[in-house]
Amino acid sequence: MLRRFTFGQYKDRNSVIHSLDARIKMIYVIVFGILSFAIKSKSGILIFSLFVLSLIVLSKMSLSELIRNLMPFYFIFVFLLLMYILFSRNQLVLGVIYIWRFLMLIIISLLLTYTTTIQNLIVAIEKLSKPLKIFSIKPRNIAVMVSVAVRFVPVMFIRFDKTRESMLARLADLRKIKHIKLLVMVVLEKMFGSASNLSDALQSRLYNENLANKKILRFNKYDYLSIVFILILIVIIY
Amino acid sequence: MIQTKNLCFKYEDEFILKDVNVEIKEGSFTTIIGANGSGKTTLAKHFNALLTPTKGSVFVDAVDTKKDALNARSKVGFVFQNFEDQLVYSIVEEDVAFGLENLEIGINDINKIVDKTLTELRIDHLAKQNVNMLSLGQKQLVALAGVIAMKPKYIVFDEPTTNLDEKNKRNIMSIIKRLNKDGKITIILITNVLNDLKYADYVIVLKNSSVIFYGEKSKLSGRILKEAGLNA
Repeated sequence: MLRRFTFGQYKDRNSVIHSLDARIKMIYVIVFGILSFAIKSKSGILIFSLFVLSLIVLSKMSLSELIRNLMPFYFIFVFLLLMYILFSRNQLVLGVIYIWRFLMLIIISLLLTYTTTIQNLIVAIEKLSKPLKIFSIKPRNIAVMVSVAVRFVPVMFIRFDKTRESMLARLADLRKIKHIKLLVMVVLEKMFGSASNLSDALQSRLYNENLANKKILRFNKYDYLSIVFILILIVIIY
Repeated sequence: MIQTKNLCFKYEDEFILKDVNVEIKEGSFTTIIGANGSGKTTLAKHFNALLTPTKGSVFVDAVDTKKDALNARSKVGFVFQNFEDQLVYSIVEEDVAFGLENLEIGINDINKIVDKTLTELRIDHLAKQNVNMLSLGQKQLVALAGVIAMKPKYIVFDEPTTNLDEKNKRNIMSIIKRLNKDGKITIILITNVLNDLKYADYVIVLKNSSVIFYGEKSKLSGRILKEAGLNA
């Protein structure tokens, strides 16, 4: 069951993308996210798509892994396409392009978590969110919140699935609002229980929100090369 | 030594622990046994200051847990019953490092300790694995590694073999014994399985929030276990 929830799970590979600094990868995700929706021309979209494809190849992600990771979004894509077909008949191509842009955004996010360990992501989040200290927001809290979310989202899906199955086994009808409500309540209750246990575990393992992560992130030659390359790409697209 | 003096703990007008006076001797293997709901976990949570007494005191190496919770938590490790919820990070080696980061140990030392701990528990091959993909037995070992890595003086194991198969149960129990005999770590084992008493030097029997027996295992009688609602 667990293997169905593989989105964004890190895989240890010896690739150029894996070796990039986590901070720069996070900044790239934001830049590419904006780019994927800001590019106007069709040639620009084509170049950007080829670029994303090359990133997939460079990260050494297999086709089967890519498909497995994108499968949970299949229904969203179908839903979006249906909406365009039903409500914007004259703009079907535009709809397909929007879904394509959305797909690119998902792949880029996927590449970040596929090539970066949670630990490095957390360090990067901590380092990048340092300016928030001005507003009394503690970077370590943000970082740990992200890591806990990454850790427990699949757990939530599994609990949802198990509860659903046990309800169905006792003849529940999940088309009824009453039973849907019950399903949601049971899963939420279990997740609150886990949150309470996790809170105990954090205290027990001496969690300190004021602690600064000592891990040092350093740029390597690929980071500098990537900056040059990305700037050239942006110039070409525009 | 961990010592409780007239420890009482009240939750929503109900006493979960009443006048508990026990000592956990250094280097010992102490088993806390009792029926479900007798207050075993609540008592153990006082040892590392996850809970503090409503009345009375708990001392860890002569320091009151009310006054210094950090002292208790750095000395008393806790392997929870729901060990799956104990894992904070998704990658095994990162989760094991979590407590060490909080102890403000340098990165190089953290890496060495993590490697050593994973090797000791023979799970070094899982270092880069996602914890969500592990079996229950493996998750239990990762949770244990996260605690052992912090080098606590005492470790509380809250029903560590629940939900495990026989092979994993034997593995966990042999590791716990090894930690006590070779690692000189004081073990506090919470259980409701009579068979687990065989490892103990000292036993604490709880019934309805009160201690009905505390002492050497040799002095424990079947009558007390029956009284505690455990089938002797």
